[in-house]
Amino acid sequence: MEAVSTPLSTSTKLFEDEKYLRCIRCGLCSYTCPVYRELLVETEAPRGKVALVRSVGEGQLEPGQNYARKIYHCLQCNICTELCPSKVEIDELMDAARVDLAARGLLPSALGQLGEIIFTCCNISGDDNSHRLIWAENLERPPQGVKPIEQVEIVYFVGCVSSFFPMSYSIPQALVEIMEAAEVSYTLLGVEEWCCGYPLLISGQGDKAEAMIRHNVAQVKASRASRVVVSCPSCYHIWHHTYPQVVEDMGLEVLHDTELLAELIEEGRLRLKEFPETVTYHDPCDLGRKSGLYDPPRRVLQGIPDLRLVEMADSRQNARCCGGGGNLETMDPALSEAIAARRVAQALCTGARYLVSACQQCKRTLAGAARREKARLRVMDITELVARVMVN
Amino acid sequence: MNEQLIEELQNIVGPEQVLTSPEDLICYSYDGTFTEHQPDVAVLPASTGEVSAVLKVAYREGIPVVPRGMGSGLAAGSIPFSGGIALSLTRMNRILEIDHANMMVIAQAGVITADLAAAVEAEGLFYPPDPASIKHSTIGGNVAANAGGPRCLKYGVTSDYVMALEVVLADGRVFRTGGKAIKNVTGYNLVQLLVGSEGTLGVVTEVTVKLLVMPEAKRTALVTFPRLADASRAINAVLSAGILPATLELMDETAINCVEDYLHIGLPRETEAILVIETDGDEANARRDIEAVADICRQGGATEVKVAATTAESDELWRARRSVSPSLGQKRPNKLGEDITVPRSAIPEMVARLKEISKKHDLTIVIFGHAGDGNLHPNILFDRRDPEEWERVQQAVGDIFAAAVELGGALSGEHGVGVLKRPYLEMNLGPIAIDVMHSIKKALDPKGILNPGKIFPG
Repeated sequence: MEAVSTPLSTSTKLFEDEKYLRCIRCGLCSYTCPVYRELLVETEAPRGKVALVRSVGEGQLEPGQNYARKIYHCLQCNICTELCPSKVEIDELMDAARVDLAARGLLPSALGQLGEIIFTCCNISGDDNSHRLIWAENLERPPQGVKPIEQVEIVYFVGCVSSFFPMSYSIPQALVEIMEAAEVSYTLLGVEEWCCGYPLLISGQGDKAEAMIRHNVAQVKASRASRVVVSCPSCYHIWHHTYPQVVEDMGLEVLHDTELLAELIEEGRLRLKEFPETVTYHDPCDLGRKSGLYDPPRRVLQGIPDLRLVEMADSRQNARCCGGGGNLETMDPALSEAIAARRVAQALCTGARYLVSACQQCKRTLAGAARREKARLRVMDITELVARVMVN
Repeated sequence: MNEQLIEELQNIVGPEQVLTSPEDLICYSYDGTFTEHQPDVAVLPASTGEVSAVLKVAYREGIPVVPRGMGSGLAAGSIPFSGGIALSLTRMNRILEIDHANMMVIAQAGVITADLAAAVEAEGLFYPPDPASIKHSTIGGNVAANAGGPRCLKYGVTSDYVMALEVVLADGRVFRTGGKAIKNVTGYNLVQLLVGSEGTLGVVTEVTVKLLVMPEAKRTALVTFPRLADASRAINAVLSAGILPATLELMDETAINCVEDYLHIGLPRETEAILVIETDGDEANARRDIEAVADICRQGGATEVKVAATTAESDELWRARRSVSPSLGQKRPNKLGEDITVPRSAIPEMVARLKEISKKHDLTIVIFGHAGDGNLHPNILFDRRDPEEWERVQQAVGDIFAAAVELGGALSGEHGVGVLKRPYLEMNLGPIAIDVMHSIKKALDPKGILNPGKIFPG
């Protein structure tokens, strides 16, 4: 596959448009930036990163390894962009900076390697792509949707993490169990499911993702499904926002699994037993703040009898990142863990016994933090919770 | 700065806390204003001992030291115009003690003020000073600038709450001044000398502030005035009627629209001014006072008085007010926010003068601020890259200061002089007062290394 220049390469025209000039340096972004709050150094604040991008744009700073390290030291959680009073498009500035760095050959080597793996193996793990359905093999009843079905309603696009990392197998396992109980007509793409392209896009290598995007859409269309359901919010984000820009008139409805679950519960297609527990919900950045999906997961939780939902102090558009975003974990695992610990602390303040999210990445980082902090908190994905309370 | 000195600093705070790369120096060159200048190095100490050791080195070598918190100041007070060491206190961010019996809190200088306020509130206590930058300023920075905020009208400014300080002097000596005793006239009042001294007399490393009990209730009202002149007169009408609200804030049409563009909460876009007025106290008083305020405002030309029904609605109004200054960035690339104060009686006249100055120099001047205590923030919007416009801005600034002083006021209510107001200091203070201040500065910092070039002209 050859990398070609596409609308996926965020234009470094942002340097030319001088959008960084909108920043009046108030510093409000520092208060909510999870990276700044841990490190307390100005270069780690969004305001600092904007100043660095501006310096490059104005020719005051020559990009090098140190600059690259600072730019990549970011969760891309977008809370800074969300609350910037001057409406600085910090997210777009950071995207443009990453594309620029990749073009200059200053991509951190770990991310460059990841890009190569995805480009050649069609997944993030480097494993043979035909191993995408291993998670489905040991189920009591093999999922119906494994074999290609004619005239299916939904393609369930599982995503690389849940396909290749055993700790996350439980999510697609739960979702297929739910879909089968609700008699949803679905299929899986198996080896024909390629990486959605999101890790390439966010590391400034979006130009490598085009072939993947076209392939995935073509495979879904071939199944004659009209709806794509994803579990991973990052898959959701790129499918929802970027895929339609690359494939015109895509003609597919893209749903996150929480939207499907809300539908199934509200249509009475699932019978759920009581779950008399206090639960708090963590909004994944890619699903909540960056895609605007706050209500479907809450409708799901509120549809479970006797479940008591309490919100954390910072929720919805103000939700704090779990520490798993932006490839930061690859660059600085200790920082990622510290950020996760803070979010777990917020969850504990609610008095909840269960911390539920809708993202395999959030579940993994928060569960890890809960374990390390010895917190009395069960961390689950929303699909696992629904599967657990489903009456068969 | 030579290698040896860098190494000496690294030995004090650790190599990761001594920042010299071009990227670091860029990030420590600015604050909340449009000006910038790089330091030679940024140093991030973790303790008073480290601050002291750094100052000793700096004093020995005659290196400028510019302390900073979150760098959100509005007078260029923490910009290292003379190079040297940008001394960031952000790592010293622990709350050391919440003392319930004495109702005080002791915090390191780098604690973010919003975090301090939230921590004491969680224990039923109340730290009233609420600068608009409460989430992006530190208590040390607030002390350096004697920060204010909307609640100062009723509750006073930062200096009214500071009971004690731990300070590192220019030569590295550490001392504590003040204490938990309420009355203290033992020697000079160094606490009040240091509060507002903008890092020019010593580096504050620890702050003790007194607290109040959280008021039982509050009522927040948004009052719409079709005419700015009526709004400015209503301020005095409310205060003269014997009501002391907790806050009495003014926002003009441009301020309202910038915030509405940002937050979309339904502020009235087509009116010349709004007042945001909060009363607090016990439930009966808060309600009675806001009703009295509403009556007076309506008699004075207000067309609508909306009282927030829930805490969430009240919080939203305050978020809107706090967002005025930063949301102005949506309109022009730069803003110069002034901070003039005038006696209350002169508020309507000062507002009128600002309007005239705006027309005279053909500049957009946004008017908002703590109108209740006569502290207005006229913000001039411009593009720094246009030298002709910048020239007009400076002329407008001169006119604004002249008007404030002529009406019996002062250059700065809460931001400090920094660099931006230096040229006008003598007009406000007179030569003798400046001479007295100079003498104090020389006594405490004979080598002139602490935040040089700030406050005093020339």
